[in-house]
Amino acid sequence: MQAGFAATRRNWLLVGRQAGKGLLAAVLSAVALAAVLGASESSLAGEHAKGRPDAAASGSVRRAYVTNQGSQDLSVVDLDTMRVIATIAIGGKPAGVAVSADRASVFVTAPESKELVAVDTASHVVRARRAIGLGPLGIAVNPVSGAVLVADWYAHVIFVVDPVTLETRAEIAVGQSPSGVAVTPDGRFIISADRDSDQVSIIDAAAGKRIATVKVGTRPFGVTIDAEGRRAYTANVGSDDVSVVDIASATRIATYAVGRRPYAVALTPVHAFVSDQYAGTVSVIDLERGVRVKTIAVGDHPEGIAVANGGRDVLVACWFENTLERIDAATLAVTGKVEVGDGPRAFGAFIVER
Amino acid sequence: MMRVLAVTLAFFAASMTAALAHGPTRQKVTETIEINAPVDKVWAVIGDFQNMGWHPAIEKTEGSGGNEPGAKRTLTLKGGGKIHETLTKSDTAGHSLSYEITEVDVKVLPVSNYSSTLKVEDQGGKSLVTWRGAFYRGYMNNDPPPELSDEAAVKAITGVYKGGLDAIKAKLEAGG
Repeated sequence: MQAGFAATRRNWLLVGRQAGKGLLAAVLSAVALAAVLGASESSLAGEHAKGRPDAAASGSVRRAYVTNQGSQDLSVVDLDTMRVIATIAIGGKPAGVAVSADRASVFVTAPESKELVAVDTASHVVRARRAIGLGPLGIAVNPVSGAVLVADWYAHVIFVVDPVTLETRAEIAVGQSPSGVAVTPDGRFIISADRDSDQVSIIDAAAGKRIATVKVGTRPFGVTIDAEGRRAYTANVGSDDVSVVDIASATRIATYAVGRRPYAVALTPVHAFVSDQYAGTVSVIDLERGVRVKTIAVGDHPEGIAVANGGRDVLVACWFENTLERIDAATLAVTGKVEVGDGPRAFGAFIVER
Repeated sequence: MMRVLAVTLAFFAASMTAALAHGPTRQKVTETIEINAPVDKVWAVIGDFQNMGWHPAIEKTEGSGGNEPGAKRTLTLKGGGKIHETLTKSDTAGHSLSYEITEVDVKVLPVSNYSSTLKVEDQGGKSLVTWRGAFYRGYMNNDPPPELSDEAAVKAITGVYKGGLDAIKAKLEAGG
């Protein structure tokens, strides 16, 4: 195994040098090598991977899981009625949220108590909690392997966590203060927004290693990947814009100006919706034309934002207003809102649909 | 040798501050007051970004840029100390303005990254004034001293808002 590690390492160096010539080819060979070596994350592909959601059983449940940092709990909102159906005590100033690959659990980061918390989506009880890192914040789930990925603000790593036991199985070095984290739909690439390095890290999930970095705007916070797994969008708090990164070529291909202090991005096939914290708006970017087509007034300090209801709606958590607000993705109008706990952040993919 | 050490330590401290910049959680304060006076009359007092003389803690306001977004002002407090602010949003018709502190000593006001909105709404001929602020505590690393904790920041801002709102109410309801 020692020799294997050394070989892997050499390969990463090669990837770095070949970046100009054909990163994807190099990445693919690296992935193949890592697969042979039996690298970290693939060992997690256990029951959760087998228990992946079947698309056939969709449409019966639509819920938002909103982390409330002030009241230190989790609001469960039924999206059909726009009512809070449960409030689950979490503690530790919860911020990040992600849904398990089988939709049976919601994972929440608690940065103050330095914990990862798993909530059962059927019973609405905390089924497990475990100490993790120095400042767990951003979180995502690999939809294929089931692994939970936790960005640590202070340790500057992404932890790879077992979704059942919440044990940390590996850690991946990234840039300074990673905040948002996302995974491509095919489970192959993890992307972290390294806030204080003004970059994203592109990670080979199977190998558990970073393969490229791409400079983006200033202080990227949230990162969202499109449905095809081709592009990553970062909300850059410091430069008030959104960077678009082409994942295969590891290059920044576009920048869109948005409102002040953007927090995160939600994507439909035609639009990017960006929560502008200080502006109190959601900026809507037409992805084909590459221009901002609308600025929607929402509650004060909009933060976590995600697409729901099969792409028909966008939900945004408004931190100061203590609301979750619904935007019609076609008419771009606010069509509903519900009061949640104090200081909702909902940082991550906080919608469950099954 | 000592100098090298000092420089190294200073560099380390600076990079720590940058890295930990958003470790603490953001706090918020909202204070409201009902004033027995029409909205226009209340707005005439508090809607001018270049004159915060209505607040009992303010000695003088100096600034530039009027009431347009981007306007700046420097508040001098009665006990000494200055607060530098920028107007970020101005909605005269909606009787609302938003601003941020660009520079303040934490000994003057123990907060960081402070933003605020002051708004007046009609309540059947009377006015409802809402003053809200979002901010981090004055100490951005872990384990703050008590005077720079979350609680100290919330307490200070709550005091500023209550003091200001009470003063406007007293002034306007006295027929001022």
